[in-house]
This record gives sequence, structure tokens and C-alpha cells, in this order.
Amino acid sequence: MTTAGPYVYGIVAGDHPLPAELRGVGRPAAPLESLPVGATAAVVSAAPVPLRARRRDLLAHQEVLLRLALDGPTLPMRFGMVAPDAETVREQLRARQERDLRALERLAGRVEMNVKALPATGALAALVAEEPRIRQLREAAQSHPGYEANVRLGEAVVHALERRAADVAQRIVPELAARAVARATGPKVSEAVLNVSFLVDRQDVMDFRAAVDRMSGRYRDWVELRAAGPLPCYSFAEPEGAPAAAAWTGA
Amino acid sequence: MATTTTYSSSEVVYVPRAGTLYDTLELILDRGMVIDVFVRVSLVGIEILKIDARIVVASVDTYLKFAEACNRLDLEATSRSTTIPELFGGKAAKAVGKRKVKKTIESVGDKLRDVVGGSDEEDEEEPEERPRRRTAPAKSGGRRKRETE
Repeated sequence: MTTAGPYVYGIVAGDHPLPAELRGVGRPAAPLESLPVGATAAVVSAAPVPLRARRRDLLAHQEVLLRLALDGPTLPMRFGMVAPDAETVREQLRARQERDLRALERLAGRVEMNVKALPATGALAALVAEEPRIRQLREAAQSHPGYEANVRLGEAVVHALERRAADVAQRIVPELAARAVARATGPKVSEAVLNVSFLVDRQDVMDFRAAVDRMSGRYRDWVELRAAGPLPCYSFAEPEGAPAAAAWTGA
Repeated sequence: MATTTTYSSSEVVYVPRAGTLYDTLELILDRGMVIDVFVRVSLVGIEILKIDARIVVASVDTYLKFAEACNRLDLEATSRSTTIPELFGGKAAKAVGKRKVKKTIESVGDKLRDVVGGSDEEDEEEPEERPRRRTAPAKSGGRRKRETE
């Protein structure tokens, strides 16, 4: 296979261990290499040509970062970052060293927990009981059945489910933020009315999960919560005020 | 998915560390550090995927599904926990519902394979599974199962 690269997974401390069995992107999966410069190092491998967002490569990227994050703070790169050559990577590491060291210190012993809220679809009766407009549309669809009446009714139901979920989601965020060091609003994803990542101290992860479970039970008629983590700190690698828009709760 | 791990008795699903992308895909693609002098792989296909998924979800079919469920709702007799598939009626209706859901999942999966897998013929991996919550019948089955425990 032709290769280009290096493909850059992330930046770690110079003495961060690199598990020998870990493999990266490409087929066959490329062995990983550490490019140390001073106190930091970039974890890289050869990159397949052409590099596309294949499922197996996305998974490889995630697996490498999950494994690295287990051994200590890791600044994850976004998927698909390929440097022109190793020397360019070293130059960048030199230029950003101070900033990267500060970020590594900030993330030490912490993980990212991602929480998404989707509208709960299991409480239709409650919705009809509580929303006069839905009741009206339902009556209209039943007295004059037809395609259009049904589309109107269904659309109103979907939007009402989303609105109710979004309202409740805003109540859930502060409860979870109380158990986190920082939070960052994630990109909009289809169906989800909430996508937020929290930076959580490793020893608080179980407590955080318990809080998610409590919220899930309390608001089950409104939202379905999906939580992922511990994850590499994708949303908190950039300094404060960077595009990830992380809000530090000051804990 | 075999590796799915639920850490508690509630319905919150914690995505396993390995083997799935569904709940972290947008983080891998949209978050994490960017270094300007590095080249970034073209992700045109991924954008299409996101839009596709939204269209599937916001489709008129979804509206009609909810309208039907809503119309069948017996407000006197229905408990608050009634789920969509139960509202569709008896076992036959349930089976049809399941097939429809499965079909939707497969078509989304195909799109995902097209986009994420590209045109790579040697890539025989399974497309990403949609989360189980979308197969509403499974959920109601789980609820019944819990009741009998």
C-alpha cells in the first residue's frame, strides 16, 4: 500500500508509554510511532493513500486515543490530520510546546463524558393529554381522516416531543455540570435535542453516571438520555475560548 | 451489538469503549485539535451522511407513524407508559412494525456504508448499527421482560 503521512493521532507527554500492540489507520493497520520533541511527543503512523473517513479508520483513530488516554493526559487530534513530513510535526511540537503542556496539565486525571438527549417517544398519552393543540389535530384527523390531517398531526406530535425534551434537557445540564470541571456544547446531531460533553475527574465518573441515571429516571417521559464515556478529551483539548467553546465551571 | 455494556439497571446506555462509533462520530469528526499546516482528509461524504440521517428522521413517514399511533391511542385505557409499537395493535401489526423499522435501519446502514466505507470493495465490515432504541419493538419487549422478572 502506498503511504503518506505521518498521520497524527494526538499529542502526549514525552514520557507517555506507547503500547506495542496498538495499531493505527490503514490496512494492514499501521504500527504507531512516537515523535518526541522536548517535553511532548506526537503519536503518529503511516497514513493510507487515499485516506478517507472509512469506518475502520475512524474506529482505529478512536481506539488509539482511548488507549493513550488510559495511560495519561492526551490531546486528541481531529480525525484525518496528516502532516507533510515528520520534520513538520517536530516543528509544530516545538512551536506549541508551552500551550500543549498547559493543556496536558489541565486534562491530567480527567475524561470526557458525552451526554445526548433524545425526545422520549413512549409517553404519547401524556402528550395528548397535556397539549390542547395535539388533541385538536387528533380530533380533526379522526373526524376527517386523510393523508394531510395525519401529516399535520404527526408533525405536531414530533415537534411537541422535541420541544418537551429540549425544555427538560436544559434542566439536566446544570445538574450534570455540578459534577464536572467543564462542559462544552457538542455539534448538532440529528434527533438529539441536547449534545453536551463534560470534563469529569476520573474519580467522579461513577458519580457522574449515577447522576445521569437519576436524570434518566426522573425525566423518562420527556427525554431518552444517551451517555458515552469515559472518552478522550476531544472537546477540551483546545485552550479556553477555542472553537470547542468549552465553559469552565471553575471547580 | 455483542460488546454493548449497560452499567446500570436504568435505560441509560453507556457506549462501550470499543466497537461503536454512533455516539462519538461527531466528536471524532468535529472536535479534537486541528493544526493548520496539516492536511485534513476530505470529509465531503460525511456531510452527506449527516444530512441523510436527518432526512430519514424528519420524513413524512415519521409523521405518519406518530399520527397513526396517536389516532389509535385509547385515552381512557392506555397507561402512560404505552409505547409506539403497542399502539399499533396486535402481534401481526407488531411484526410489520418491526420489519419496517428493520428496513429503515438497513437503508440507513447502507448509506452509512456507502459514505463511511467509500467504494472500497475489500471492506467487508458490517455497517454501523443503529442504536437499539430505534427499534421500538425491542424496547417494549424489554419492558415486558422486566415485568415478568
